[in-house]
Amino acid sequence: MRVPLRLKIVGGFGLMLVLMTLLGWVTLSLTTSARAVQEEVFDDAIPGLVAVEEVVRSYTAQSAAVRGALIGNPPVLLAQYRAEAEAARFWQERAQPLFTSPDERALLADLIAAGASFQKLVEEQVIPLSESGQRSRAFRVLGQDGTTLISEIERIGGVLRDAQRDVVVQSEIDVRSNTERTIFTLIVVLVGALGLAIFLTVYLPRRLVGNLLQLVDAARAIGRGDFDQKIEVSSSDEVGELATRMAEMQQGLKRLQQLALHDRELEIAASIQRNLLQRALPDVPAARLVPLQRQANLVGGDWYDVDVQDNALTVVVGDASGKGIAAALMATVALSALRGERGRGGAPKRVISSANRALLDATDPESFTTLIYTRLDLKTGEVRWMNMGHHPPFLLRAPSPDGSVRGYYLEGPRNRALGWFEDPGLAETVIHLAPGDRLVLFTDGFLEAKSAEGEVFGDHRLAQALIRLGSLDPELLGHELVADVERFAAGKLDDDLTMLVIEYRGAGAADNQADERSGEEKWRSRR
Amino acid sequence: MAQQKIDIDVTDADGYQVLRPEGDLDVYTVGSLRDAIGSVIESETPRVVVDLDNVPFMDSSGLGALMGGVRRLREAGGDLAIACTREQHLKLFTITGFGEGVSIAPTVEEAAKGFRSNN
Repeated sequence: MRVPLRLKIVGGFGLMLVLMTLLGWVTLSLTTSARAVQEEVFDDAIPGLVAVEEVVRSYTAQSAAVRGALIGNPPVLLAQYRAEAEAARFWQERAQPLFTSPDERALLADLIAAGASFQKLVEEQVIPLSESGQRSRAFRVLGQDGTTLISEIERIGGVLRDAQRDVVVQSEIDVRSNTERTIFTLIVVLVGALGLAIFLTVYLPRRLVGNLLQLVDAARAIGRGDFDQKIEVSSSDEVGELATRMAEMQQGLKRLQQLALHDRELEIAASIQRNLLQRALPDVPAARLVPLQRQANLVGGDWYDVDVQDNALTVVVGDASGKGIAAALMATVALSALRGERGRGGAPKRVISSANRALLDATDPESFTTLIYTRLDLKTGEVRWMNMGHHPPFLLRAPSPDGSVRGYYLEGPRNRALGWFEDPGLAETVIHLAPGDRLVLFTDGFLEAKSAEGEVFGDHRLAQALIRLGSLDPELLGHELVADVERFAAGKLDDDLTMLVIEYRGAGAADNQADERSGEEKWRSRR
Repeated sequence: MAQQKIDIDVTDADGYQVLRPEGDLDVYTVGSLRDAIGSVIESETPRVVVDLDNVPFMDSSGLGALMGGVRRLREAGGDLAIACTREQHLKLFTITGFGEGVSIAPTVEEAAKGFRSNN
């Protein structure tokens, strides 16, 4: 479960607050209970004790006063008797509300009844007998019945006094045990508060700081480029969350690093492919070659090859199926086989068969390569060409004096793509170029460029564009054509575009160019 | 290259299956067709007609997958035929030489008639 850091801090201090409140409550309850015991003792038990003692004392005093009156000075002692009787009544009334339990009330009632009987005895028998001169008889009545009643009063008074003393003693025991219990609670609460305070001030910050230091270490390691440092934070709060995200970031960076490495490998592959493709174009006065390549990715399946031997210019434009590295590798296989066989002096048909063989051996049945193989006789303008499953090349005739241009696709016998069949067919076609004619070889990227609506550029649009741009210099023509296709595809080209324009200048161009060059050399030597 | 899936409707016909891909067949989506052909190869009647009428665009990867399918099915004793009326694809078949030796017809039934006999 995830416990946020804020909740931990707020919870810790909240708990502390609760413990402090508990502490306050315990102290308050201790004071309150002490006061309750005090009230019980001072408001009830002690006044009750005093009242009972006073009642008992007043009856004993009454008895003594009456006895004295029987011996001498009767008016004074009788008055004392009556005052004590008044005192007894007073203390009996005071005692009534102080005794609340049924037993005590019954005992108090007995005491009052015994007191009443004593006074009745004195008023109705002793005093009348004394006044009628029968003093000895009065003495006897008082000595016998009166003493019995006083003893009874003293006995009941003793019982009541003992009960009140028990209350006081019990109260003391209650106060002591209550105090002990409160002190125990107080200690428990204090220990709890202390533990919590230690947790909040020592453990929690140390754990928090420890976790943060680990993250700082990991961040430093990331800064150094080390993405393997383990982040072991098991906290379930925000710091734990941060650690999880940081570990994810580590993984992401590692992946990025691998991708960067992959990109570097791709760049190396691209550089190999560039070196393979972009050999210096042969300097042939009778023909001008203008290559144009726009790759969708770093590496691709489009390629071309140019070679001059025995007054013949060989130009090949090829397209390996698929995209990316697989296509690039296939292009390399075809190109290597082609160059190898040609280097051994093989005729065009043999060169193509050799490339087909290499592709059949090296690639799966899905992969294939299409190409146009052309061989231009620089003296005569004769072109012998073979179409191996490729789109036909386009021939732009030299512009007429009025600037208009004619052009068409060179349809001819078709052979099959390389890499599929043992015998792809090797039919050849011959055309003748006049000076100023241009042969345009291209790959399917031009035809398959798609508009936002999903429509392809197609061979019709390509032909129209080539004728429209046909009066331009081949280099400019290429750039304009690519711009056209890019506009059509709204900037989203995901296939390679490769085009090669062979402009035939005619055998006579060689002499003109030789003159131009000697002129240039003369100009240089003058500087 | 990020692979994308396209829907390929598979129906049983008389002794063969018909695959109807819906969408472009290019380097990104060709995996779906390859997988569908793979399932047919494992079935009892490894014969299939691929109907391309709902494929507006097909590049060299798509064509390659079809050729791969022809090879694999023939090795398994079956065959692959193409039902197609789209000019653009038919042109591609003609240009590359794919069409030679593979039955290509405007309808599924006609294409199926061109299956190579496996006996």
